[in-house]
Amino acid sequence: MPEKTVIHALSGYSLFKAVFEKIQTGIIIVDSETHTIVDANPLAEEILGYPKDKLVGKRCHDFICPAKPGSCPITDLHTSIDNAEREMITSNGNKISILKTVASVVIHGKNYLIESFTDLTDRKRADDQKVILIGYLSESIHRVRRPLQLTSMNLQIIADQVKTGEFDPEEIRMELQIQKNNIEKMIKTLEELTESVTKDQPDISPEFRKFFAVK
Amino acid sequence: MPGTVDTDDKILYLMLSRPENINAMNINVIKNILKRGCTPVIVSVNMPYKILARIYAKEGIDPLKWYVIDAVTQYSGGVCEPNPRVKYVSNPANLTDLGIAITEMLKNIPGPDKCILFDSVSMLLIHTPSVTASKFLHFVVNKLKLSDVSGIFLCVEKGLDPVILAEMSAVVDKIIDFEPEEKQAG
Repeated sequence: MPEKTVIHALSGYSLFKAVFEKIQTGIIIVDSETHTIVDANPLAEEILGYPKDKLVGKRCHDFICPAKPGSCPITDLHTSIDNAEREMITSNGNKISILKTVASVVIHGKNYLIESFTDLTDRKRADDQKVILIGYLSESIHRVRRPLQLTSMNLQIIADQVKTGEFDPEEIRMELQIQKNNIEKMIKTLEELTESVTKDQPDISPEFRKFFAVK
Repeated sequence: MPGTVDTDDKILYLMLSRPENINAMNINVIKNILKRGCTPVIVSVNMPYKILARIYAKEGIDPLKWYVIDAVTQYSGGVCEPNPRVKYVSNPANLTDLGIAITEMLKNIPGPDKCILFDSVSMLLIHTPSVTASKFLHFVVNKLKLSDVSGIFLCVEKGLDPVILAEMSAVVDKIIDFEPEEKQAG
């Protein structure tokens, strides 16, 4: 059952706090002069893999942001980031794709950057899977479906050749052997393609993985 | 005439047909090439030389007027009988030897009017991934352009994905959809 949060008399700081902690978007607040992180919400902690106490006080350059000191896209390069695809560095050193918006705000006379972001890792993985599947389909059509049509036609030609009696047995044997070798190649190609498309897919159950691997 | 190609202008063609018409396309193209006084070299990754010779002979094609690079006789376990008009390659996946054979054959054939008939791109794809096949076909196309030789690449229609088709379209001069005579008339 989902956790229920009862909020009474929503106003001011308590409203901000409730939204900050429950929103399904990672939020990091950065001091725009020192580029140190002053706060992070729970989802930012989860996405980045750091507890808040390991984030707060750290400079964002090279820590969670791939930009080098002096080349902050907002404060140094004066560009805007509005729903843009960017990268962040997680606690295990991996770069993850995120959809990010950065807003400049002034709080009590001090400049801050509010970075809000959503993790695109799953979407990226799904996109990569789509590309792999399209490649698989394309190669299967190229290297199996069309050649099978040609092989079927070749077998018909060989059958017709046998009927004419004009071809000697060795010639017919050679032609049949070529078709057999080609079919074996196509089976091998299908096996290799299936293996390459299934090997890095965590969503495939062990039973199906075993089924795909049967030769 | 279906399968009409112009070898005088050293043009490179990609000829597409339905699977059931690809052999008819081969014969039509060969007849057309010979009619123009050009010497064809057939790069066969589908049919052994002996069968090709028998089929051509049946079609009245003079055996002394064409050469062949045969990549399937050895692959079928057949005997590679020495013949000055034939170069054998161990199997269709051996693209290095296939490339060397094409270079040597073009060098050794006398006279300026010669062309390559590649039969077929679709069958080559059984033996090699499409990326490798694409690189190899680029190599052959460049070789033909540098040697000022015509080339005709046979392929099953819709047998190429849009990427390879776009790549091939960029390097060949013409793409022709082949229809056999009786279908055209009908």
